[in-house]
Amino acid sequence: MIEVHLYGDLRRYAGKTDPREEAIVWVPYRPGLTVADVLREIGIDPERQVSNIFINGHYDYHARSRLVQDGDRLGVFPRNMALLYC
Amino acid sequence: MAKLLRVNMTDLSVRFEDVPEKYALLGGRGLTSSIIYDEVPPLCHPLGPDNKLVIAPGIVSGTKAPTSGRTSFGGKSPLTGGIKESNAGGLSSQKIARLGIKAIIVEGQPKEKGRFYVLRVDKDGARLLPADHLKGKGMYEVCDLLWKEHGEGVAIIGIGPAGEMLMSAAGICVNDQENTAGRYAGRGGLGAVMGSKGLKAIVIDDRGGPGVEIKNPELFEQGIKKLTQASLTHDVTKKGGALNTYGTNVLVNIMNEAGGYPTRNFSSGRFELASQISGETKAEIIHKRNGEGMTGHPCHPGCIIQCSDRWANPDGTFKVSVMEYESVWALGANCGIGDLDKIADLIWLCNDIGVDTIEMGDTIAVAMEAGLLPFGDADGAIRLLNEEVRHGTPLGRILGNGCVFTGRAFGVTRVPAVKGQGMPAYEPRAVKGIGVTYATSTMGADHTAGYTIAPEILGVGGKADPFAVQKADLSRAFQATTAFIDSTGYCLFDAFCVLDIPEGFEGMVESCAGVLGVNWTTQDAIRLGYEIIRKERLFNEAAGFTRAHDRLPDFMTKEPLPPHNTVFDVPPEELDAVYDFSKWPKEVVGEVAG
Repeated sequence: MIEVHLYGDLRRYAGKTDPREEAIVWVPYRPGLTVADVLREIGIDPERQVSNIFINGHYDYHARSRLVQDGDRLGVFPRNMALLYC
Repeated sequence: MAKLLRVNMTDLSVRFEDVPEKYALLGGRGLTSSIIYDEVPPLCHPLGPDNKLVIAPGIVSGTKAPTSGRTSFGGKSPLTGGIKESNAGGLSSQKIARLGIKAIIVEGQPKEKGRFYVLRVDKDGARLLPADHLKGKGMYEVCDLLWKEHGEGVAIIGIGPAGEMLMSAAGICVNDQENTAGRYAGRGGLGAVMGSKGLKAIVIDDRGGPGVEIKNPELFEQGIKKLTQASLTHDVTKKGGALNTYGTNVLVNIMNEAGGYPTRNFSSGRFELASQISGETKAEIIHKRNGEGMTGHPCHPGCIIQCSDRWANPDGTFKVSVMEYESVWALGANCGIGDLDKIADLIWLCNDIGVDTIEMGDTIAVAMEAGLLPFGDADGAIRLLNEEVRHGTPLGRILGNGCVFTGRAFGVTRVPAVKGQGMPAYEPRAVKGIGVTYATSTMGADHTAGYTIAPEILGVGGKADPFAVQKADLSRAFQATTAFIDSTGYCLFDAFCVLDIPEGFEGMVESCAGVLGVNWTTQDAIRLGYEIIRKERLFNEAAGFTRAHDRLPDFMTKEPLPPHNTVFDVPPEELDAVYDFSKWPKEVVGEVAG
C-alpha cells in the first residue's frame, strides 16, 4: 500500500476537513505506478493542484514521474500552501 | 543630518553626535555590529560597564518602503560571549528613524544598583526618567502604563523581570500597533544587557520629527516599486499566500513531513501531534472562534506580507501575539506539548517575563530530559515559567540562563546548542545546510543567520539536496546576504521573493541606494554583507572563539535521528571553509585580509 498524507485543501480527498486530524489515503500498490498515477487515483490533478511532494520524507523536485515502491509514504501539499514549489 | 544618540548610564547623561563618515552608509545590523566592533572590548564582561547596547533602524526604515520596520539590537551576548545582533518588528524602527536618529548607543552602568530608568526620545531630544514604578513588572503592564504616561501610539522598547535579573535568556520587547508586548529581539540575552544598564524601557515619540531624508527619490521610488511587485507576486509572500494565510507556522507540516521537525529535545524529527499545532489548525481555530483573533496581522505599520497573527481564547477574547513557527515549536513539539491553547499560555508568559521563546523551549525540554517534569507536561512548564523564572528562584535563575546552563546544572548531555545558544526548529541531522549555519554563524545556533532551508526544503532561491554535506558555499552566501538584508530594515521574509525574482533584489538595493544617495549594484550589497560577517567573526576571534566553537553538539554526530536515521556528518573541513577568508569569493569581496 502507498500511504498518502494530504495537507491544506487537499485534505478533502481523504474525507477530512478538520486540520487537527491526519488526512491519509491508502492506495494499493502495483508495479509501474508513478506518484502522478497515485494522485490521479485519489482524484487529485498532479499538475494543477499540487505544489510539492515528499517521498518518505525526502523532498523531490521530480516526484511526479517517480515510480513508487510498496510501503512508500507520500506527503502532498496544495498550490495555495506553496512555500514549496518547483 | 541624522545623528547618533549616546546614552551614558554611568552619569545619566544623553548627547547627540554627528554620524562619522565610516557609518554614513550603514544601518541595522551593519551599524550595530560595526559600532560594537569599534567600541566594545571583545574580552569585556557582557553585563559589565564596558559592553554597549546599540539600537539601529535599517537604511530604509521610516520611509514608505514596504515591510521595512525591523529594529536591530546589538551588543556582546551574555549567552554566547560573542557579538550579537537580534532584530524585531513592532513600532520602534520607523519612529527612531523619523526622529533623525541613526542609532542609539547605551553605555556605562549606573553606580546605584537596582535602580531602573526610562529613556524618552522625542523631537525635542532625549532624557532619562526614573522608572522605579515599573520595576519587576511584566511587559504587558509596562506597555499599558507607558502608553498611559506618554500617550497612545508611542513605540516602547522594554525588558521584563528576566532582563532586570540579568538572565541570559532575556530578550528585548517591542510593542506593536495594538500595544501588545510580543515582538521580540529575543536571541542572545540582550535583555540582560539592557537590564545591566539599568534601563527598563525606551519610549519613542516621533511626532514632529524631521523624517528620513531620501537623497535620490527617483531611484528610491523605482526600487520600492520593483520590490513591492516581487513581494506581491511571489507565492510565499503574496496576499493569500502561505505566510499571509497560515503565518510562519505553515512550516510545521512541511518540516514534519521532511522529518526535520525537532521533537522532545531533539530526539526525533517527527512529532505525532504535529497536526494539532500546525499553521492550518491555528488558522482554522482562530477563524472558528471568530472573536478578537486574526490571521494576516502586520507586526509593524507598512508590512505587506502580514505573517503575524493574534490568537484568541476559546471564548473569543484576545490571548497572545504571535503564534509563530519557532515559538509554537519550542514550547510545543520540542516539549512534547500538542495543545495550541497551552502553547499560547506559555508564549504569553515568555512575552510577559521577557525571555526568548526559543531559548526557553530548549531549556524546558532539557529540564524534561533531566526528569524535572515529564515531556508533554504543559501545566508543569507553565509553573516553571510563572513561579520559578518570573520570581528568580534558584531554579528559575538556572532555567532563565538557558539550555546550556540548565543542562550543566542537571547533568544532561543532549543539549542542542552552539556557542551557548539553543537551536531553533530545524533539525541539522535532516537538513545539513542549516546545521552548517548553526555551527559557523557568528551568532551561535541561529536559523535566520543563513536560512538554507529556503533552497534545501522550500525550493526557493535555488535548489539543494538537504542531505548533501557540501554546504559551506551555500551557507556562507546566505549568511552574507542575510547580513545585508538585516542592515536594510527590510524583513528577512522579503528574502523569499528577492531570492527568486532578480528584480526584487535589485529593487531592495536600489531603494537603499536611493535613501543614501549612492549607486549600489546588487554585488555591492552582497559585498557589504560579507564585510559585516567578517567584522563579526573578527570580534568573536578576539573574544576567544576558535574553530572548535564552530561545531554542533557531540550527540548530533553520534545519535541517528528518526525517521531518516541520519547523523550530522558534514566534515570539519567543510565547516571551517565557511569562515576561511581565503575561500571567500574573490569576485565579490576582493582579496580579504585575514
